[in-house]
Amino acid sequence: MNFDLDENQSLFKAAVERFSLNADVLTRHRTRALAGGFDRIRWKELADLGLIALAASEKDGGLGGSMHDCAVVAQALGNSQTVEPWLECGFLGARLLSGTSMAEQVISGETVVAFAFAEAGRRFALDAVNMRARKAGGGYVLNGEKEFVLNGAVADLFVVTVNLDGVTALFAVPANAAGVDVKPYPVVDGSFAIILTLRDVAVDAPLAGGAERLSGVISDTRLMASAEMVGHAQRLFDDTLNYVKTREQFGQPLGRFQVIQHNMVGGYEKVELMQSALYRALLAPPANLHKEISGLKAFVGTAAIEVAHLAVQMHGGMGTTDELGIGHGLKRIMLLSKLFGDPASDLAAYAMAA
Amino acid sequence: MDVNFSADDLAFQAEVRAFLAEKLNPRLQEGAANTPSVFTEPDITREWQSILHQKGWLATSWPEEYGGPGWTPTQKYLFEKECAIARAPSLPILGLRLVGPVICKFGTAEQKAHFLPRILSGEDYWCQGYSEPGSGSDLASLKTRAIRQGDKYVVNGSKMWTTHAHHANWIFALVRTDTEGKKQEGISFLLIPMEQPGVTVTPIITMGNDHEVNATFFDNAETGVENRVGEEGQGWTIAKYLLENERGGSCAAPSLLAAIDRIEELAKGLPSGVNGALIHDPVIAQRIARLRLETQAFETTELRIIAELIKGRPAGPQTSLVKLISSNLRQSIQELKVDLFGYDGLQLPVTRPLYGNDAPEPIGSRAAQLAMPAYLNGRAYTIFGGSNEVQRTIIAKQVLGL
Repeated sequence: MNFDLDENQSLFKAAVERFSLNADVLTRHRTRALAGGFDRIRWKELADLGLIALAASEKDGGLGGSMHDCAVVAQALGNSQTVEPWLECGFLGARLLSGTSMAEQVISGETVVAFAFAEAGRRFALDAVNMRARKAGGGYVLNGEKEFVLNGAVADLFVVTVNLDGVTALFAVPANAAGVDVKPYPVVDGSFAIILTLRDVAVDAPLAGGAERLSGVISDTRLMASAEMVGHAQRLFDDTLNYVKTREQFGQPLGRFQVIQHNMVGGYEKVELMQSALYRALLAPPANLHKEISGLKAFVGTAAIEVAHLAVQMHGGMGTTDELGIGHGLKRIMLLSKLFGDPASDLAAYAMAA
Repeated sequence: MDVNFSADDLAFQAEVRAFLAEKLNPRLQEGAANTPSVFTEPDITREWQSILHQKGWLATSWPEEYGGPGWTPTQKYLFEKECAIARAPSLPILGLRLVGPVICKFGTAEQKAHFLPRILSGEDYWCQGYSEPGSGSDLASLKTRAIRQGDKYVVNGSKMWTTHAHHANWIFALVRTDTEGKKQEGISFLLIPMEQPGVTVTPIITMGNDHEVNATFFDNAETGVENRVGEEGQGWTIAKYLLENERGGSCAAPSLLAAIDRIEELAKGLPSGVNGALIHDPVIAQRIARLRLETQAFETTELRIIAELIKGRPAGPQTSLVKLISSNLRQSIQELKVDLFGYDGLQLPVTRPLYGNDAPEPIGSRAAQLAMPAYLNGRAYTIFGGSNEVQRTIIAKQVLGL
């Protein structure tokens, strides 16, 4: 039995830590002040380190990293509170475009991909209903609206779930295609999502095998979201532990008070169990993986929010401001815990799965 | 045992309801409902304050001789309840609920004559200087220093979480006038004008993107000796009186129950994404039900406290229980509200206000747009006015005798 990282995993973890060395409140504010809240130079650096390639198969020109390899990266990015959207644009983008000629540009960081899956009034449903495709000549014409397209304002390419004769298909739509309209709005982690409207947008064929792969890609992304949440929760816990050891009230460090000690041990229990739950999912046999990932995300989503609430409470007033990483961690966790389902729907999916 | 109100009380309640129906215009209602921070902004509260002032219903916790309406505890409760149900704006409580009663109780005749009418009219807008960078829960360790020079005090130091200091022209502050002896005994209660070179206000933006609180710095700021409330060294006694007013003195359950009603209405119109409306989702339905049960019980706790007040028994440390329970309920309600809206609940507008022509266009609905900033700002409920940990210590010591 061995839970140590292997040599490659250690290298990737170290690469993330180097990349994130200067990730702090100031750089996050600076990035969010850029157009679309996204730093293209940093994105290229992230790609140059092979971090997107890790998520792509060798036949796509990637490094073919395992789920465990990718989870190490996701967790390290969370732990360092890095704002670059590796999860939703890197990992997810590379997986969605696997087997296409566009994958290479995604892996190199030249093309930023955003996934357009959510429709108004459908909560977490994943099948496309109101975004429709109809055949026209040799290709298709797309019409409809998507919301919550994360980082859509800076995307060069959208992968869109589309209702094609009652079946959900995936289409790739260049951001500069005629009939594409983009309306950005800010979301909780400080990034910008868009409302994406397509009006008679002409495209070629759906992505080959895209629809068949979709549920697996989303499941894998939910695993990575969980890994990132584990990283965030650990960081919030560590920062809070440091704070209660140093912040003095009533003539002694906060951590000398028994109520604070017990609160912190409660957080420690959660952080330990989250890490173990992540390992357990990574070790699950393929036949059970889908179910295990639903369970993992339900468990980690709930526990990460609880740890974040603890971190805010222990930091007092400062924890409620935009001036510490504490609030930033809580806000990213809020987004991740609801990505492709919230803890309640994840738990229901786990409970109902065969 | 009964929870019936007298015929007079019911007539009063009907009068309040009719008054609110007539006077609460759409601008005020929208401003109140679409404010995600704890306090409503002055552009809304000023108008509401002046309407209530004209009616004589403004300073409900003040003695009649200073402009209070002379209501019984039951009437105060019914007024608060009707305001919550009608979604009336909150009032600038720092003047009306906090420093006002302090001046009524501890102020000199001159202070009463000068400050109380200006609080009522809205001419003065107050903020509070209590916490400091090094003094949060341990308030008595505060370091802001006031040194007497002739007929004035010269003040140096910094105050944190000064709510609406950027709107205020006066601050009431706890300052250290004596560094010897017990730390509580060296504290005095000063009223300091904000509009002077020695006072600087720096915004603190919350994680919900609101500018509600500030850091306020005193660099040789001055105030006249006549602006000290009570004696030198009496500040801690006054502070405790004020904090009990901050924690109690209002009723929270009606507004919490109104919020639960709204959540239930919203859940009827929102999709479950699986099968029909969200209200049929068993998890959501149970969360609403559990919150309603706890809040209804809490409402009865508040009524039991009012029954004690009617008999002339002071509320005392029960205010800590009310503060503790209402803060936790408020947060649970805000968490549930975010969860109603799926992805739309993840929008977090950067600009304010979220009412009027300048409001950014919401995704889904205005209620969805308000959910996340309200939830994020609401994390402060269990911290300000004495954190949960402080309240529990007070209850453990003063109620349970531990």
